Amino acid sequence: MLEVKNLIVKYGGITAIQGISLSIPRRQIVAMVGANGAGKSTTINAISGMVRKTSGDIVYEGKSLPTRPHEVSRMGIVQVPEGRKIFPTISVEENLILGAYVVKDPLVLKQNLERVYSLFPVLKARRRQGGGTLSGGEQQMLAFGRALMSNPNILLLDEPSLGLAPKLIIEIFQFIEKLKQEGLTILLVEQNATKALSIADYAYVLETGRIVAEGSGKELLANPIIRKAYLGCLDDPE
Amino acid sequence: MSRDVIVQQILNGISLGGVYALEAVGFGIVFNILKFSNFSHGGVVTICAYFGFFISTRFIPSLWGSLAVTILFGGVIGILVEKLVFRPIRIQNKPLTYFFVNSITVAMIVQQFFSALWGSNYYPFPAFIKETVFQLGKLVVSKSYLLMLSMSAAVLIALSLFLRRTKTGIAIRAASSDIHTPALMGVNTDFIVSITFCIAGILAGVTGFFLGMTYTVTPFIGSMILKGIIASIIGGMGSLGGGVIAGVLLGAMESLLIAEVGASITPIIIYFAIIILLMVRPQGIAGKLYSVKA
Ligand SMILES: Nc1ncnc2c1ncn2[C@@H]1O[C@H](COP(=O)(O)OP(=O)(O)O)[C@@H](O)[C@H]1O
Ligand SMILES: [Mg+2]
Repeated sequence: MLEVKNLIVKYGGITAIQGISLSIPRRQIVAMVGANGAGKSTTINAISGMVRKTSGDIVYEGKSLPTRPHEVSRMGIVQVPEGRKIFPTISVEENLILGAYVVKDPLVLKQNLERVYSLFPVLKARRRQGGGTLSGGEQQMLAFGRALMSNPNILLLDEPSLGLAPKLIIEIFQFIEKLKQEGLTILLVEQNATKALSIADYAYVLETGRIVAEGSGKELLANPIIRKAYLGCLDDPE
Repeated sequence: MSRDVIVQQILNGISLGGVYALEAVGFGIVFNILKFSNFSHGGVVTICAYFGFFISTRFIPSLWGSLAVTILFGGVIGILVEKLVFRPIRIQNKPLTYFFVNSITVAMIVQQFFSALWGSNYYPFPAFIKETVFQLGKLVVSKSYLLMLSMSAAVLIALSLFLRRTKTGIAIRAASSDIHTPALMGVNTDFIVSITFCIAGILAGVTGFFLGMTYTVTPFIGSMILKGIIASIIGGMGSLGGGVIAGVLLGAMESLLIAEVGASITPIIIYFAIIILLMVRPQGIAGKLYSVKA
């Protein structure tokens, strides 16, 4: 269980997150949806320690999380960042090895590498290529693979479907559900709200740094006000 | 000029070029991750040259012993310079200009310090190698030049292995394109920056020692890294391999020109050649174009 309590984040004078609380229970998918600039990445980065929180608490299994990003990651809370952030100048395999930076046992590293390669065979085929040579979809696979290399407990996914072709988007969401079935806990941030809500156990709607609605994915999807205001749908639920 | 003399000049030039290559890599590796031109590298080279002189004349007369101690010392100085001078401004997210200015300040302080203290004297290293030349066919090969060349090559090969085969090395290379994201993989960014300055310091140790051995130790010995900086730029900022190639070429070209046209015209030709090269190929031999530079 990961809990965010009364989180406030300011960038200089601007308050990007104005006191939000979330809870992310074990082995569930919790979605956070909202328009561009709502504060989704800021929330994820505050959890990861990439931005400093102004106030509030982030609690993991009863204890406050450390504030430095490498320490958070070492607790098993691993972010797949917006825009993938693949390292372009090192090889695909080196990107994955870096994902296992904290894995001490070389045997475990090797096992994890084999697992990622069996999940995404295309990465194996391209393992000697520079990370920058991959297509958008392959980079997203590499970003997932890199995060899985450290055997995380919680994945923080920042817009994994961004910029991908529709067919790939479907595969990515299926993959996220599969990760849940394997026991991972997931915070999924998306602008692609309809898709995210449809796989989420619970979801929050964020608007200019505040939570304006929350509920199970199904409830939010069925709520006509939410559909109109945040999902850009004027039609009936599918 | 006979062919043998030319070959010999090129050989000597390549050896000096090996030292330029060390300078280029020491300068370039810090540029790669923090994106500023680290002129304090010359200061660390000067400190190491004095240290190498001091340790070899007073305490450890053997070549290998004093070289090893100087290398370790350089690594420690590199770490200290980063901690004291660059970390505070990095933590405050200061613009690159601050880094640039601080790096020049360090170089100036070191120069002034040694000028004030021991500036009036030249300090020659002990003659480590008794017979300084040996005969290779018709060629007369200087032992100390050969030593410089082989040591530079060994250090650069070791560094290359480190950067390729260890997780820390991979993290340093990853940080060269993006210094923030490795933290998401559990990489302590402060540690990576520290290690990078340590590597630069180790390279400065080798450089300072060899420059001191070849010339004599003066407060201005660190400004000789200008050649390395040039090599790093024409090699292509961001490409350590390009810097090595450029360093060796620069050394060879310089020695050859000195033998052919003399020491006073050589720099003019070289600098003109560099300007023309950078006009034709602004990214250098192997580099990418960088817009952030300070
Ligand atoms: N590094 C930053 N400095 C200043 N303002 C920022 C920074 N990052 C984000 N913001 C601002 O904070 C708000 C939330 O941004 P962000 O968390 O990126 O939103 P989202 O991920 O939902 O699109 C926006 O108004 C954005 O302009
Ligand atoms: Mg975002």
